[in-house]
Amino acid sequence: MTKVSSIPKTAFPSTHSQPEEGSEGEEEDDMASHSTEDPSETGSTGLPDCGDSIDLPTFEQILEMDDDEDEREFSKSIVYGFFEQAEATFEKMIASLREQELATLSSLGHFLKGSSATLGMTKVKDSCEKIQHYGAHKDDAGQSTDMEDTVLLKKIKATVATVKVEYKEAERILKQFYHDPEH
Amino acid sequence: MTELSARLKPLFRRSSTFSSTKSSASGSSTTSDALGDGHTWSKGSFRLSKNRKPSLPISVFEENEPLPQPPGALPLTPTEKPRFTRRNKKETPDTSPETPRSPPLEKQNPILTVEAPTPKLGTRSGKAPEEESSPRDSGHLAGTDAGTTIGSQRPGIAHRRRSLTHQEQSKDISSLLGSQSPALQPTKTDYFGGISVSADMVPKKIWVKRPGSSATQVAIKEDDLVDDVRDTILRKYSNSLGRNFDPPDVTLRIVYRKQSARHSNSERTLGPEESMLKLIEIHYPGGQSVEEALMIDVPKRQTPRHSPRMAMQYYLPEDLRPHENGTDYFPPMPSAAQHSPHLPTSLSVSSAQGGSHHPPAHSMAILTTGQLPNLPSPGGRARHSQNNRPRYGRQHTSSPTVVQTASIALNHENLKASQQPMPTPPIPEEMTPHKTATPPPRVASPRPKPNNNKRTKKPVDQAPQPANTTVPPINVLIVEDNIINLRLLEAFMKRLKVRWSTAMNGRDAVTKWREGGYHLVLMDIQLPVMNGLDATKEIRRLERVNSIGVFSNSASSTPTFPKGAGIDGTVGGEDSLMNTALFKSPVIIVALTASSLQSDRHEALAAGCNDFLTKPVNFEWLTRKVMEWGCMQALIDFDGWRKWKDFSQTKPADAEKKGIGANNSKSPKAALNGKAQSTPKRDRMASLGLGGKENTGSDGTGTDTLSNGDSGSGH
Repeated sequence: MTKVSSIPKTAFPSTHSQPEEGSEGEEEDDMASHSTEDPSETGSTGLPDCGDSIDLPTFEQILEMDDDEDEREFSKSIVYGFFEQAEATFEKMIASLREQELATLSSLGHFLKGSSATLGMTKVKDSCEKIQHYGAHKDDAGQSTDMEDTVLLKKIKATVATVKVEYKEAERILKQFYHDPEH
Repeated sequence: MTELSARLKPLFRRSSTFSSTKSSASGSSTTSDALGDGHTWSKGSFRLSKNRKPSLPISVFEENEPLPQPPGALPLTPTEKPRFTRRNKKETPDTSPETPRSPPLEKQNPILTVEAPTPKLGTRSGKAPEEESSPRDSGHLAGTDAGTTIGSQRPGIAHRRRSLTHQEQSKDISSLLGSQSPALQPTKTDYFGGISVSADMVPKKIWVKRPGSSATQVAIKEDDLVDDVRDTILRKYSNSLGRNFDPPDVTLRIVYRKQSARHSNSERTLGPEESMLKLIEIHYPGGQSVEEALMIDVPKRQTPRHSPRMAMQYYLPEDLRPHENGTDYFPPMPSAAQHSPHLPTSLSVSSAQGGSHHPPAHSMAILTTGQLPNLPSPGGRARHSQNNRPRYGRQHTSSPTVVQTASIALNHENLKASQQPMPTPPIPEEMTPHKTATPPPRVASPRPKPNNNKRTKKPVDQAPQPANTTVPPINVLIVEDNIINLRLLEAFMKRLKVRWSTAMNGRDAVTKWREGGYHLVLMDIQLPVMNGLDATKEIRRLERVNSIGVFSNSASSTPTFPKGAGIDGTVGGEDSLMNTALFKSPVIIVALTASSLQSDRHEALAAGCNDFLTKPVNFEWLTRKVMEWGCMQALIDFDGWRKWKDFSQTKPADAEKKGIGANNSKSPKAALNGKAQSTPKRDRMASLGLGGKENTGSDGTGTDTLSNGDSGSGH
């Protein structure tokens, strides 16, 4: 809670933030504003300006695991593995939304949270965390709440929509980085 | 006789050197004064050896602190011998025997007498040179006849007393000497009959230089041999050459002014026995110019790749010449390196001083990480890496991958942090007893999520290059259900060159752990089948009932087992572990959590985790954890990891051998254990005393402090 309350000072208006979670969105932008400085500092990866979608330091440490900087075999396999995982998880989420299985949604959110965090997809991660919380009858800050299941499901639905947008943005950037012909 | 005078030289030169050093150090006289001073001194000493009379240094001194003989007046008489000998023996106590004798010169220069330093002052300032000169004197005394003895003493005395002279008087003295010297010149030639060099032809200073450096002048005496000049040169180059080379190492080369018919070569190495002045006279009639400086060569201590020196290009244009003293600490400038004759010397000197042609910023990094940054090879262009230097340097100084020393430092840091009243999560009842047997939870460790903001500022290419040789060869169990994370963690482990196994859920994790031999478990918390917390609790329970890490001889840590398991490991049923020898100590469990919630951490610590890492797992942090805990475990299980070193990848299944190892390692293990656990206990006390509710806040502060410190050091 303290974390959230201290955030609004940061003056980075977020285009992606959901109305009811403006503070969270701004927090992301706050982080992202740091990461945007990084390309000039590191300059080694040739990553496009991924803005607030990807936390560069986190992602770059995966890139560092690459043996070959041109092939980027390892990181590419990780990233594309994540793409598959994310797509599959989104589908499961939507299915679970239909089934109104909050617990499943929570664990799905947690699952995707872990890997998106690993890749530095900060926004996706945060949204996934929210899904996890909502599914566990918690509010977006992780505090237990007595919100109705329907409300929670609604929130989850909105968050899933958001997270897909966030994911798509990150995916676009990463595919660009890996010179994927589709982009 | 030449040999004798050669022996005497160093003494004279010493005094002249001191005088010039002193006068320049005093600041009251200019450099030219100092030079002039030294110049005149050499003249005076020349006169002494030639005439076997009281030397000019002495007579100068007589003007300060009088001696009976007027300069040049008396040849050595037999009566003088004992006096000097006696005085030499009494050198240390005082100069008082001389003081009463008032020479005529005192009247001539009353000012000097007045200004002469008091003996009190003199004993202090003159002490060091005195000590330095006396062994030489005695050496001469031992080996030579009486006449030589006197001669060799005199300069010693002169030198010693010279040092009593007030620094500000050097100017006066030099002017005095200058006025006296013309009168003394007539006597010159008769002593050195062979060397008839007229006084005005004699260069008092000769130019010398090291290849690639600018020329410098050294003062020489008329009868100096090349051998003596080498001494002088080493004093002149006291930093760059004098520290590494002895006079015999140094060779001097003379470069002929023009290709004369007589010499097929354009240069020649001078023999030590040649007379310096004569050489200069012969080769440079009319005086030696700066360009004709003698080349100083020192032996190469390492063979550089460059071609042998070329004869001609010695003189660099002014702007290309590196600073003379600079060659020690800085690699040769590229321009200088292109001139092959210059490189050998620079290289040899710098390599003698620890290979400092690498940017010094690296040396520490290499020491601590055992890893050489991408530097050019020693034979290559040393300057090549210059552009990258700051980056490399920073990378390594901030590197958390450092070896045990750094880990220890880090531990201290953590220790400090954890000694502050740190919160602990509410400990479940069942956890309490076996806590003593488990390594301490690490309260202040990875950053909570908000702190990721700070981390993002750090360029990632500063991330540690794992120092492969320094990571203890521990065995890590990675428990992670997300294949993406698992693969990355595996890549990390691969990079750290530690062994690892994986488990995809909590049940798997416990099963794998029961095989034994793991030092570190990276435990994801939320896992299918059995979550990380439950798996952790199960592992701790099994450790407890099998008395892993419990030593019956340390009574204080003997827990009471609520479940009635025997201390000596008499556990029945499915709980018993197969090879207790493989469980040297409680495994370290580092929780991996993507949660930014403090409560989740507390939960993890309460379940028996020792530490936690926040996802996304930062490689730097992971390395750090592996280091810290791995080093600790490797110490505890020393025999175990020695075995691994031997058997490398072979299965550590031979339990019999391990059993022996276990017995042997008992006492050191106990000691270590006591050490490792004393602190955590204190922590626990403190935290328990604090109570549970407001812990979240203070925990956050503690972690923040640590993170700040860390990110600070990272930049």
